[in-house]
Amino acid sequence: MAEVLFYALSALAVLFALGVVLVKSPMMSVLNLLGTFFCLSGVYLLSGFQFMFAAQILVYAGAILVLFLFVIMLLNLSAIDARSEASPGLLRGTGAKIGAAVAVAIGAALLISTSAKALRQNPVVPTPDGIDGFVPLSAELFGRYSLPFEAMSMLLLATMVAVVLLAKRQRGGREKEQR
Amino acid sequence: MNVPSEHLMVLAALLFAIGVLGFLIRRNVIVVLMCIELMLNAANLTFLAASRQHSTPDHPNLVGPVFAIFVIAVAAAEAAVGLALIIALFRLRQTTEADSVQEMEG
Repeated sequence: MAEVLFYALSALAVLFALGVVLVKSPMMSVLNLLGTFFCLSGVYLLSGFQFMFAAQILVYAGAILVLFLFVIMLLNLSAIDARSEASPGLLRGTGAKIGAAVAVAIGAALLISTSAKALRQNPVVPTPDGIDGFVPLSAELFGRYSLPFEAMSMLLLATMVAVVLLAKRQRGGREKEQR
Repeated sequence: MNVPSEHLMVLAALLFAIGVLGFLIRRNVIVVLMCIELMLNAANLTFLAASRQHSTPDHPNLVGPVFAIFVIAVAAAEAAVGLALIIALFRLRQTTEADSVQEMEG
């Protein structure tokens, strides 16, 4: 049962990911990305990562995608998109060629690797119920990885300052011009 | 669930390939950022699959989840800065097309 669910969720995740790339309107891309993230969170849960399941929904679907939606609505892109998609650029042709080449290369690599014997010889071990339990994970995070954890907090602080500066600078410049 | 961890990695590789494809063929900067998020997610899935592969019921391997948490934090920071840059670009040019910014092109 869980296996069927896993493969169904994987297929859905890939379909939604294709939707992100192929759909024209950025709004629909965000909704497709939301579908991908929810399917992936289901995959995490099935694979035994309960904390990552929660984190995926809270951080990706709850915070990052809302930020994307917020910006798209703020910029009102739907009106502008129709104009820009009409004019095919030079970059588009080359980009499509490079993209197709990369897709073919990675697809071939995937086919070779999945048909390799090494993949089939490994015994299939059932997933432990919970790999990332809260207590062992937090002991690891605040013990062995406390220094990277602090570095991460510095990164987030620096990001916050940078974003406030980026968002404020334009307005300050315009005020100076008006004076 | 009796699915080999390699299948998780194959799923991650597929998602990463789709992300690369979108990164290269889309011109809207917001969609490009979304494709980057997709690629980071695929990387996360690879970390978790590797961690699952090295886990036994008695000794769970926690390196993968720890690094996945770091990747999530970096992804959040990247999305915030990227969207702030997009807003700045939109104020300057009234567009979010990558082709509209070509001053640095050689």
